Amino acid sequence: MSFTKLDPTDFVVSSDSVTAPAWSTNAPTLTSFYTLSGNATGSYYVDVYQTASTDSAAAVQFSIAYGHIYGSGSAPLNSLVPQNTPSRITYGQYRNLIYGDAESAVNFGTGNTSSLDLIAIPIDRNRYKGNLFPGTFNLILKNGSDSLRLTDNSNDVSTVTYLDCGRAFDIISGSNGTAASLTVTPQGNPTKGYTNSGSYGLFLPDVGLIVLNPKALGAPVLSGGLNVTWSTLTTVNGLNNAKMFSLISGSGASSAGFTLNSQETISSDYVFVRIKNGEYNYTSNPSFISGSGNLVYSNFINSPQTYMTTVGMYNNNNELLAVAKLSKPLVKDFTKEALVRVKLDW
Amino acid sequence: MSYLSSTSVVVDAILTKKGRELLARNDGSFQITQFSLSDDEIDYTLYNPNHPSGSAFYGEAIENMPVLQAFPDDTEIMKYKLITLPRGTAKLPVLDIGYNNISLRQGASLSITPQTLNYLGATSTYEQSGYVVTIGDVRTMSNVTGVGINTPEVTSLNATTTIGTNVSKTVIGTTINLTATTVNTLFGTNSALQTTLIVVGRDSGARISVPVTIIKTNQ
Repeated sequence: MSFTKLDPTDFVVSSDSVTAPAWSTNAPTLTSFYTLSGNATGSYYVDVYQTASTDSAAAVQFSIAYGHIYGSGSAPLNSLVPQNTPSRITYGQYRNLIYGDAESAVNFGTGNTSSLDLIAIPIDRNRYKGNLFPGTFNLILKNGSDSLRLTDNSNDVSTVTYLDCGRAFDIISGSNGTAASLTVTPQGNPTKGYTNSGSYGLFLPDVGLIVLNPKALGAPVLSGGLNVTWSTLTTVNGLNNAKMFSLISGSGASSAGFTLNSQETISSDYVFVRIKNGEYNYTSNPSFISGSGNLVYSNFINSPQTYMTTVGMYNNNNELLAVAKLSKPLVKDFTKEALVRVKLDW
Repeated sequence: MSYLSSTSVVVDAILTKKGRELLARNDGSFQITQFSLSDDEIDYTLYNPNHPSGSAFYGEAIENMPVLQAFPDDTEIMKYKLITLPRGTAKLPVLDIGYNNISLRQGASLSITPQTLNYLGATSTYEQSGYVVTIGDVRTMSNVTGVGINTPEVTSLNATTTIGTNVSKTVIGTTINLTATTVNTLFGTNSALQTTLIVVGRDSGARISVPVTIIKTNQ
């Protein structure tokens, strides 16, 4: 006999969460930001790289897309249909993704419950395997000498809000998932971490998306904003994507940048291979026997020793489905039993 | 007093080519139900029953050898299985299929009935559960069938077909029928195709591997 049936109790399924930096540099914080040469003002979106796009290691880390409900901030695709602009298309695309319909208002909370515009920062799909990891999002924005540190409020809320796109956290001023204690209270006395124009945006980990509230970023510095003026031009590209890029890229110089981790749930199948003392003490290895089947050493007749190196997992048809190697040969004889835990990741 | 060694060994497994094929098939055939052990790479001539330091060191050379990582070709790994036999066994089962190598012309057929020598006290016997036969490259055969074992699982396995790629095919039976391919394009500019036939006794675990050559005859 060379096969042993596995018992249902020999199988254990375990799911473990694995987190890692989102960026291709494998560093938690991205401090250098580049756009593709000649595409820094992209009408729909701008891709952001960690290094010069001519570098062979250059990879898209995230994108920036400005959206407006009426199409302001970008030129129409066709002058005969002036309302159809990239910013309007972007707004509709993300509203549909976040709320699942075309009627819902983009809601950034008290002060901006029906936002006319948004800035989407979709994280490149290759940067995360499962979802973004709440509480690790830290983004420094810098406009001239003014700066703002944003994070999600995952550590401040006890109940998670769900939208059509899954979990939704407010983006607030603070760090590591907690609102900051400000030395100067913003004018209008909003909730800690918020502005009078609502939150700074939405952190949507399940779809790998960060949505910023342009109204909050455009608020005066004393009100918690960065005093950014967003273009409302309707006949030419208002370069709002480039403006947002400059707010982010300006943060790298202050040794802060953009910090984000991804999260993945790995389901592992553990199979416990139990080998009893009386089992597997002989082998079909040709060096164990002579051509006629006689054992090569006489002491193997009563005290055989085998050295297992490989565990094979089979189905009922004896087809080899998976295989695991030991790091060194494991000796087996009639006085030894062994327990090998084989891990299969999915 | 000292620390006990850890109670289990943990190893990571990889899927074999066959495992990936069955997983992709999504018909329930990818279901681990049993395990087997092998000692591929071990050279028992390194075992030294005359070691000057005594019996604890007989296997010193083997026990300290580094082991290679697993590779996914299911026909090239788990070749030499560990087997369970009564203590005192002096002669191990070996397979005899009547050929040391197989050479078939295009379209020719061959029937193989393996026998197991030195098993369960018999000089020669046919194993009750039959034999698992794997052809390394299924494209080289227009027909590979196993007959003689009629359990539902074996019938289902023998009816399975995989089209197009150089994957292996496994059948079970007491007699195996092979018919060489008649397709010319597989040969390219070559006059022969090579593959391997592996036969494993389902009861004894004994294994034999023979090279198979398909000779081009069609023009």
